[in-house]
Amino acid sequence: MEVRTQGKAAVADEDSVASEYLTFTLGSEEYAIDILKVQEIRGYEPPTRIAQAPPFIKGVINLRGIIVPVVDLRIKFDLGQAEYTPFTVVIILNVAGRVVGAVVDSVSDVIFLNRAQIRPAPDFSGSFDTQYIIGLASQDGRMMIVTDIERLMSGADMELIDDATASNQEQGSSRC
Amino acid sequence: MPIDMSQFYQVFFDESAEHLATMETLLLELDVANPEAEQLNAIFRAVHSIKGSAGTFGFTDLAETTHILENLLDRIRKHELGLQPEMVDAFLESGDLLHSMLEAHQGRGSVDSEAVQAACARLRQLSDARPAGGGMTAPARRPVPVAAAAAANEVAPAVASSSGRRAFGIEFVPTEVSAHSDGIERLLVELRRQGELEVLNHPDAEDRGVGFWRLRLTTTAAPETFSEAIDFIAENGAWRVAEEAVVESTGDGGDFDFFGDVPGVPGENRGYGFFVALEPPPSNSAESGSADTDADDGPDVAPATEEDEVGYGFFAPLPPLVPPLGEVPAGAEAGEGCGFSVSLPSPPVKTPEHRATAAADSSIRVSVDKVDQLINLLGELVITQSMLQQTAVQMGEAVPECLLGGLGQLERNTHALQEVVMSIRMLPISFVFSRFPRVVRDLSAKLGKQVELKISGETTELDKSLVERIADPLTHLIRNSLDHGIEMPEARLAAGKNPIGTITLKASHQGGNVVIEVGDDGAGLPRDKITAKARERGLVVAESMSDQEVFSLIFEAGLSTAAQVTDVSGRGVGMDVVRRNIQELGGRVEIDSLLGVGTRITVRLPLTLAILDGMSVAVGDQTYILPLSHVVESLQPQPGDVRTLANQGRVIEARGEFLPVVVLHELFGLCSARDDLTQGIMVVVAAGGAKAALFVDALVGQHQVVIKSLEANYRRVPGISGATIMGDGRVALILDAPAIATMVRAKTQTTAGLLQ
Repeated sequence: MEVRTQGKAAVADEDSVASEYLTFTLGSEEYAIDILKVQEIRGYEPPTRIAQAPPFIKGVINLRGIIVPVVDLRIKFDLGQAEYTPFTVVIILNVAGRVVGAVVDSVSDVIFLNRAQIRPAPDFSGSFDTQYIIGLASQDGRMMIVTDIERLMSGADMELIDDATASNQEQGSSRC
Repeated sequence: MPIDMSQFYQVFFDESAEHLATMETLLLELDVANPEAEQLNAIFRAVHSIKGSAGTFGFTDLAETTHILENLLDRIRKHELGLQPEMVDAFLESGDLLHSMLEAHQGRGSVDSEAVQAACARLRQLSDARPAGGGMTAPARRPVPVAAAAAANEVAPAVASSSGRRAFGIEFVPTEVSAHSDGIERLLVELRRQGELEVLNHPDAEDRGVGFWRLRLTTTAAPETFSEAIDFIAENGAWRVAEEAVVESTGDGGDFDFFGDVPGVPGENRGYGFFVALEPPPSNSAESGSADTDADDGPDVAPATEEDEVGYGFFAPLPPLVPPLGEVPAGAEAGEGCGFSVSLPSPPVKTPEHRATAAADSSIRVSVDKVDQLINLLGELVITQSMLQQTAVQMGEAVPECLLGGLGQLERNTHALQEVVMSIRMLPISFVFSRFPRVVRDLSAKLGKQVELKISGETTELDKSLVERIADPLTHLIRNSLDHGIEMPEARLAAGKNPIGTITLKASHQGGNVVIEVGDDGAGLPRDKITAKARERGLVVAESMSDQEVFSLIFEAGLSTAAQVTDVSGRGVGMDVVRRNIQELGGRVEIDSLLGVGTRITVRLPLTLAILDGMSVAVGDQTYILPLSHVVESLQPQPGDVRTLANQGRVIEARGEFLPVVVLHELFGLCSARDDLTQGIMVVVAAGGAKAALFVDALVGQHQVVIKSLEANYRRVPGISGATIMGDGRVALILDAPAIATMVRAKTQTTAGLLQ
């Protein structure tokens, strides 16, 4: 088993180096994210709401003493029904030095993908900005959208990080 | 103004000792052949700080010595001189002398003035030496210190052989740091220079020198000359220098039998620690019990006349590092055969000197990290405790009586523990205030103003992190008052005021806050000038603004009303930084001023940044925490109490005041069953000079909550100052009462639209 760490080691056969991806579904779409960004997976519990937060930010939860914001990716990308059942899961991600929870419909499995299997995605317009998409991969007849979760979560439109939402912040402080 | 400087002596001693320790560590880490500029600078800074404060406090001897030291260091860091190992030795030696001077000023021990002279001479010599490149080969340790040390030790007649050579058994365990650097090598070289050196025992090569070393040195030098060097290398206290009776002593066994075998030989006045851990004591040596002193104190050892009768504990059961018992007057102990008290070493006799040491030892310096860790853990404990409490409450009748009692006790203990732990971090604000007399003195002299500084409430305690971070903003405020506030003496006379201006610095506790006031009886703030200047800078200024609002404009960046820019202030940077710094600490700044009478700037700071007393309130399905320090009262509105203003804002009359009403569920966009304002509770909060009535569904309870950052993983939310974890493990947000109160004040008309 080969796990690519911050892979500069084997540039030559990089294409054949496989890394592990966690796949999850949002509505009928299947996504794959780098498993090294995943801290843990837990059941959904109602978070504490944050005033004036966008609807996809469900609120914050207590993760063993740490306050962690929870984002519902289904609402963010308008995929599937944002229902909360005992089977709804939250993927706790470790991105950009922060801990963030992401609500998804279900977590499928962990797969190996090498570079060659990830094809560039065609440009298309949609709610999902293609800059967060590394590529598309297919395996066992399923198509998976390989996503740069770190970039997605730290992006400005996620409104999770102050720097990224500096303009909002300005407005906020000027009112105080 | 007369200030009793002696109250700050302890701080000076602590700080200087810290600087000396830093210097020593850095010196020991220093790569002599290729010193890092940053390290040299750090050493220089340490020395410079000692010099500066020593001068301030009038410890001229310290200041003089550090001055010479500083000169040499300065030349080295400017590459005028190359660093030589000798210099490092000299630095370390002077560091020790400085340390003993510090001790002496604290009434412990005495300073060997000859040694100081010698060290200074040596430093001067090194400093005057040829510039970098001239390879130095002269032996580092000149006979000077030897002579000095010998002179200090009056009762140390030359012993043994006619040549004056004595043999010393040296045992030590080096620290890892020194073992891994070339510390041991240097020590050996140094010792060889003193005389003949035999290495009797050294650790295995794979231990890289960490382990037990035994050497024998035959030398004419006094042990003090090299014992210091060993002390640097050795693990704290894990070293020993014992004089051997005869040069040809075999080393094993002989070392300890000295006193027993050759009773009455003069010279064993230098007693040496008996370090059991280093070597199991020979069974026959019980009666020989070595006189116990830390060899650091060598020169101070009491007269030896009866010393050979004094047997000290045979410390077999003690932990490896026998703490030095310090000097014991020989007379008092004479004839007391303690030598056989095998299991219980007699406690050190309390002498005044000991008490001095004990007083110094009664405070310890602990890394802030450890304290923070303690506070974090305590936070978890508080959460767990309230979780248990809540569970018990939910069980209701079914809870056994004893469990309830236990829980009650747990609560009390947790509270007590919390208070104690929090108080660890508390420092009196005099730590900050103490620097201002100097600031005011220097600055007023420079500006040609006459100013008196009045300080009160300097014993007010607040969190250490706050103490450190409030110093700069306060300095700025004081400089500002001096420069802009206080007028020139002539102007003051013309205005019919006392030519001597007054700046008051006042600290006090108010609820959960520390309030610091910086006031002056100067010219006051000119409202029209400020508004004009603000318009010039494109700020929105309305004539209807209250004085306070106008004055707070001076906290805007780039706004200065000073006619001319001095090097003290007036550039228009600074006040905004002051405000930002204070806000970062969770504090607020308010400003009051009366033209021609004076200005008062009030800084409000939370007592601590970690835990707050909160009132939990229910709003819709959410629970929020309201800092109790901001809560004035709560009341149930009667029909007709709440009135609308221009059909938009709502106000409630409470105790003769009309307060703006903030309906929290509207503010936070929550659904609440209580649309009727008479159904819920109004909580009156006061913050930052503003009052508001927050409408909540119900009051839930009162808790101490641990403040958790919302920004660590999320971002700042307006109206929310942080989050906490409730007893049931859920997250509750802490309301930023001051922000909410000022928000409504700013825009009473559209309460609900404030945050959109």
